[in-house]
Formats: sequence, structure tokens, C-alpha cells
Amino acid sequence: MQSLADNLAHQPARGVRDRVLAQAPWGVALLVALVVHFVLGPVLGPYWSQVATQAAIAVMLAVSLNIVNGYTGQFSIGHAGFAAVGGFTGAAVSYYGALALWGGATKQEGFLVPGEWLMVGGSLLGAVLAAGLGYIVGLPALRLRGDYLAIVTLGFGEIVRVLLQISGPQLFEADDLRSSGFKQWFPPPLGGAQGFTGVPTYASLFWVGLFAALVCIVAYRIKFSSPGRALLSSREDEIAARAMGVNLARYKVRAFVLAAALAGLAGGLYAHTGVVMQPREAGFIKSFEIIIFVVLGGLGSISGVVLAAIGLTVLPEILRDPQRLIEAWGLLAAVGVLATVGGVAMRRSGSRWAPLAVGLGATALGLLAVALVASGANALMRSATGDPQANIGKYRMIFYSLMLIGAMLLRPQGLMGVREVWDHFRRARPAPGRPGGAAT
Amino acid sequence: MSDALLQVRGIGISFGGLKAVQDFSLSLPRGGLYGLIGPNGAGKTTAFNLLTGVYQAQSGTVELDGRRIERLKPHEIAHAGLSRTFQNIRLFGELSVLDNVMLACHCRGRHTLLGTVLRLSRFVRQEAAMRRRATSLLELFGLARLADEQAKSLPYGDQRRLEICRALATEPKVLLLDEPAAGMNPSEKKSLAASIRDIRDRFAMTILLIEHDMGLVMDICEQITVLDYGVTIAQGPPRQVQQDPRVIEAYLGEPAKA
Repeated sequence: MQSLADNLAHQPARGVRDRVLAQAPWGVALLVALVVHFVLGPVLGPYWSQVATQAAIAVMLAVSLNIVNGYTGQFSIGHAGFAAVGGFTGAAVSYYGALALWGGATKQEGFLVPGEWLMVGGSLLGAVLAAGLGYIVGLPALRLRGDYLAIVTLGFGEIVRVLLQISGPQLFEADDLRSSGFKQWFPPPLGGAQGFTGVPTYASLFWVGLFAALVCIVAYRIKFSSPGRALLSSREDEIAARAMGVNLARYKVRAFVLAAALAGLAGGLYAHTGVVMQPREAGFIKSFEIIIFVVLGGLGSISGVVLAAIGLTVLPEILRDPQRLIEAWGLLAAVGVLATVGGVAMRRSGSRWAPLAVGLGATALGLLAVALVASGANALMRSATGDPQANIGKYRMIFYSLMLIGAMLLRPQGLMGVREVWDHFRRARPAPGRPGGAAT
Repeated sequence: MSDALLQVRGIGISFGGLKAVQDFSLSLPRGGLYGLIGPNGAGKTTAFNLLTGVYQAQSGTVELDGRRIERLKPHEIAHAGLSRTFQNIRLFGELSVLDNVMLACHCRGRHTLLGTVLRLSRFVRQEAAMRRRATSLLELFGLARLADEQAKSLPYGDQRRLEICRALATEPKVLLLDEPAAGMNPSEKKSLAASIRDIRDRFAMTILLIEHDMGLVMDICEQITVLDYGVTIAQGPPRQVQQDPRVIEAYLGEPAKA
């Protein structure tokens, strides 16, 4: 039996074409971001563009937390803390940078204006700071597991929140910034309990789309690699992983550092979506939102948590005003019926894409059903109360929670389990070579 | 015996007042196939756990190919060339059969985050080499057709074989097998005995085997160590051990006093 080194020595060199193709996904990510920005954005309009922006950031947070909670099977509930570190760093760099450079933080119009690059730089700096904290928080993970580690990470998130709460008041004018001394910068002027406002809204669909795609590529390439297997093996059986030569301590800390960095990046972009950055962004309620994405999508499944993050961000907005969906009933019904019928026919003919078609059709029909039920409930409420403005939308978080409960009862392993969407399109089982029981 | 590949000198551990293994010594020559037997609770698996660093030995030394390993961490011991299987199967259940074996190739590779994320040449070629090596190991064990199955979905006998396959993928100098025949029927045990001999010959492997059941060990092992209550009560070739009164006593109880 040849050793790995022998095998490697016999492995042919890679051609230029393969080397270039290996980097193609980055280009595709850029292309997707451009299409989302210039085609999807105008179609969606400002309201749904904002929803899509939040969904993309949710995707980044979910995919990054998945590296710790999904791949390595540790349980971190401090992820929002890392996102907040990146968020406030990005906000401060962008706002104070704009004051220092251009004398004011009003948004510069246009595509790829200097302010946007300041946002990218600030977010990357936030990612670096979050990564450093990820290293520190990852160290207890070497000794602790499960509930105990969860409490450590919870503590971390709360420390970040409290530190933000007692930070100094925001400096609003360029003159304040110029005349500021040590007293204004310690504690740093991050707005305290009032929060940090006025950050220019540079997180366009282009930037969030681009970074969400990049984060997904990074997460995918790590999952399907030798280091990824090392992470997954620690979740399956730590003793066996160590006995097979995996340095678990190193990989656990690396998982924390990487997840924290990507969360910091997501937070940096989030600060530029027009929200008021408040200390509670670091709190455990935010962390739990991200955990719900990961658990619902399936611990370890990238495509699963992406779908869950998008679905759970968009769904409350749909429930807020079901009328929007009713207006698209024709499209939904057509897509739903055609895709479902087509999917059933494809399954008969053994096509591996049948589940995709059925899934698409079921989603469309499900949305239609939600819209019909919700608008029916609206009509009932309006006639019962006599209030023409009555809207089921204010109860939407109850439906949202009920849906989560239902999903967990029906699929406790999450939408996808540890597998990816495309695994479900493979034929059920590779053709068996010979019956089982054959000896060595 | 200074030419021993694995030289164990007087290792021991106690848990509280319980002396689980005392003064355990073993000299395993290159290419040897030795057995470690003893009744339930005799400390066989504890001895393995001491050798592989799951527990730290409180006394004694372990030398693998001239290198002291008794203070190393489990993954460092695997790097040094000592690999094992587990009595209660410990596969990575959710991972595929192929991934289980490829993971064990991990410790012989070089890994960088940048290489992984950018799919640099070194990474791609190394992954391909791992896949090829893992596949040929699986073929050798008749598991290649199950490569894409989840490990936990395999039948019991295949899981046991996969554990051996995975242990071999770390490129060990010495292979420790912890009750590989547990739960097997006589015909499966027979074929297992054949494959253990085959592994020794094909890989020029040095093997230490724990077995509960005397039959298999007597059949294939050259030298046998017998443990009882953590103490080595006999050591020698199978025939000699078989007739040792202390061994018979440990297995069958004290002879009735007439």
C-alpha cells in the first residue's frame, strides 16, 4: 500500500486551465452581485430591496455560525457579540472616517463611491477585531463542551453588550472630532445606550450580495476539504478524531476564529443598512435568531441554513401584509401548479431534479395558501371588529413561532440535516455492485 | 530485546483506589502479531488507552521506534505511528464511508486555510491523493461499493472492517485492534482472522490485538500477554499460556478443593 506521500508524488501536475477554473466561483459571485444589484434591485423596489439586504446579512451570519455550531458541533450563543464588534467597528470607521476626510457623513451617490470603500475597509477591520476575540473565546472551547461552553459564549456576548452600553457619546460634527482628546476616546465614542446613528447606507444589494456569496464559497470550500472533515469528525466523535491524528484543539479554535471573522464582516455591513446600531445588537436575543436559522436549516448544511435564513427573514415581512402576495396570486398559482405537476411527472421518469421542481411548486402553493388564509383572517377580523384597518399582521410573530415549533416537531434534524440540497437530487442509492456480506 | 518496535516498560494507572493496570510491560518486535487477553474488566482496554494517550500513564515508559511517546497527546501519538480501533465502534456515523477513511489520511497531509479556500494546486492534488489512497484501502477491504453510504448505515461486520481500514489510513507503524471479533459469529471470526494475517503480511504491519475470546487469539497470535485485575499473570507463546495454571484459574475460577 502506497503512503499518502507516494500517492501525492504520483499525482499529475495541474494545468493552467484547472488553476484558473478553481478561481471561477469568485468571478461568479461578482457577477451574481452585479445582477442582483442592477436587475433584481429595481424589480424588487426599495422596500423589498431592504428585506433582501437583511436576508443576505442573515445568510452571512447563519453560514458563519454554522461553522462552529454545525461543523464542529460546539454550541456558541455569543455570535451576535462578534457581529456587533464588527458592526460598531464598521460604523465608527465609516462615520468618523467620513467626518475626518470629507467633513460630513452624508451619503455619496453613485456606484462604488469612496465612502463605500471606507465601509468595506471598516468591515474588514471589524472582521479582524472579531477574529481576535474569537480566538480568546475559542480557548475555553478546548476544555468545555455543550452547555458549559454555551454559557461562556453567552457571557462573552453580554460583556460586549455592556461595554457598548457604557461607551462614550457619539461625536456628530467634524469640529467635535477635530477637538476631541483622550477624554472623548476613552471609552470610545460609540453612542452608549442611545446607539450609534447616521452611518451612511452604503450596504447596497451589490455589497451584501457579493459578501454573502463570498462567505458561502468560503464555508463550502472548508466543509468539503480535509480540514472540514477534521471539523466534522470532532462533532461526530472527539475520541476517535484524536486517535486518527486530528489536532482538535487547533481546529476548534480555528473554527471560532473564522466564524467570528465572518460574523464581524456581516456586522460591518449591517451597520450600513440604515439601522441605529444599539448595544442590544450584541445581546443573546440576536444570537438566538442566528441559532434558529442554523438549527432550522440543519446543523452543518450550508444550503439548509441559507434557505432558513432567507425564509425566516422574508416570512415575517410577507405576514406583515399578505395583500402583496394576493396581488401576485396568478403567478404563484401558475408556478405552483406547473412545477408540482412537472415534478411529479419527472419523478415518474426518474429524473433527479424532481425534488427541486416539487419543492419549488410546494413553496409557491404554500405561499399562496399563507396569503389566502391571512387575507381571509383579515377580512373576518375587519367584519367582526368593524375596523377597516384591522390586520392579522400584528400577530405575525405568533405564526412565525408556531411555524418554528411545527418545523422542529416534523424535522428535528432541520430542513437538510447535515446534507446539502443537491444531495437530495442524487439517485436514492448507487447501483449495488454485489450483495452484502462479502468478506475481505 | 532492544530491536522491539514498541517497547512498553512498566506502565500503570490507578483510578482512585483501583489499580486498573499495574506494571504492564510488552516488547513487540517489528512485524509481530501479539495478543492481549484476559477476563472482563482485566484492564485490556485501559492498557490500550494508556498506549494511545487517552489516559496519561502514571508510571513507566512507552517507546515507539526509539521515540518516547508516553507523554504525548493522542493526536501526536497517531502522528508518531500508533493507530487503533475501538471496542465499541467509534466511526464518524454521519460522514460517508469514504470520508471516514479520508479523514484518517488527514494527519499525513499538510493543510493551510488559504490553500483550502483558494483551492490551490497543493490542496487539490493532496485531496486527490487522499481520495485515491482511501479508495484503494476500501477496495482492499471490500468496502468500495459502500463508499458513499453513511458509516452508521453499514451492517455491523462492515463497520468493524471500516474501523480497521480507517486505522490503517493513518499509516501506522503499530496497529492496535481492540476486540475486532466482538459480536461476530464463528464464520465471521474465521474470515476476520484471515484478514488480520493478511494485513500483517501485506502491509508488513506490527499488530497488537485485544481479544476476549481465546480461540481467535490462540489461532493467530505469536505471543500472548494475559491480564487479570490489571496485573500481567502470564506472557508467552499460545500453547504455553494455554496451559498456565494461573490463566486457567483467571478464566475458569479456582479449582475445587478436593
